[in-house]
Amino acid sequence: MIGLKGTLNVIDNSGALLIECVNVLKQKVNNGWGSVGDEIVCVVKRARPVSAAAQASTTAVKVRRGDVRRAVIVRTKKAVRRPDGRFVRFDDNAAVLLNNKREMLGTRIGGVVSADLRMKGWGKIVSLAPKVV
Amino acid sequence: MRIEKCYFCSTNVYPGHGSAFVRNDAKVFRFCTSKCHKNFKMKRNPRKVRWTKAFRKAAGKEMTIDSTIDFEKRRNVPIRYDRELVQTTVKAIKRIGEIKQRREHAFWKQRMAAAREKHRAHRIKKLAAKTAAIKLVEPIAVESAEPEKILEKIKVSAKGRSALIQGEGRSMGMDID
Repeated sequence: MIGLKGTLNVIDNSGALLIECVNVLKQKVNNGWGSVGDEIVCVVKRARPVSAAAQASTTAVKVRRGDVRRAVIVRTKKAVRRPDGRFVRFDDNAAVLLNNKREMLGTRIGGVVSADLRMKGWGKIVSLAPKVV
Repeated sequence: MRIEKCYFCSTNVYPGHGSAFVRNDAKVFRFCTSKCHKNFKMKRNPRKVRWTKAFRKAAGKEMTIDSTIDFEKRRNVPIRYDRELVQTTVKAIKRIGEIKQRREHAFWKQRMAAAREKHRAHRIKKLAAKTAAIKLVEPIAVESAEPEKILEKIKVSAKGRSALIQGEGRSMGMDID
């Protein structure tokens, strides 16, 4: 249940730490609420400070506070129903930042992600995650 | 397909039932019902909640050391399907269930025998304490000088009570010529 103003932790190494949802991209049935596997538009609220070395290299993406980015939700506190009828909920809301081509900004993921992601077509994120539940 | 155990009450959680909570360190807590989930959210310790299996085992109310319990455990080794093996396993499950039930009953009987003794001793102790606390006072005997007067019953004659004149053959009738 991620909607406008919902905050999420960022669990990749893109540099952002905390993001705030400003829009949930429409799907057929999400009714304005985002769940695991849904794409959102977000504002970076808190980010790791960009080091001088990273600034010098032009190739590295720099995520700064105040940036507007796309992200995909990977964990939700609200229980999500699995196809077998079980409900799975997590400790917090978390997301992974994306670029405009729906590819991950970061290269690594640190933390648990929901197994529902694979079903929704985010196999890349699932394969990178250290633990999938 | 796996039958999980509830984290709180240790009952079986069949597929399609219950819910799971995943902590950020990837530990999965499975719950059979919302009751167990709520108790978990209240941060209750299952060992201290009386209706859980964990409590009953910890308090010595159920068998903990028994060979029949060891059969049911998580084996993370995949086994190739073998018709014979499945057949014998199913047979064994039934037999083990019977044995387990009998042993559990014996355990319960033993436990109850000990409990009965304890209960009786407690009751006697309680009764003794009760009788010691209460002092019975004997009623004061009063010597009455004269015996009580016995009143005689007043006798009233039953005849001629009716105001009506009785007719011939019938009672309480009107006068007929």
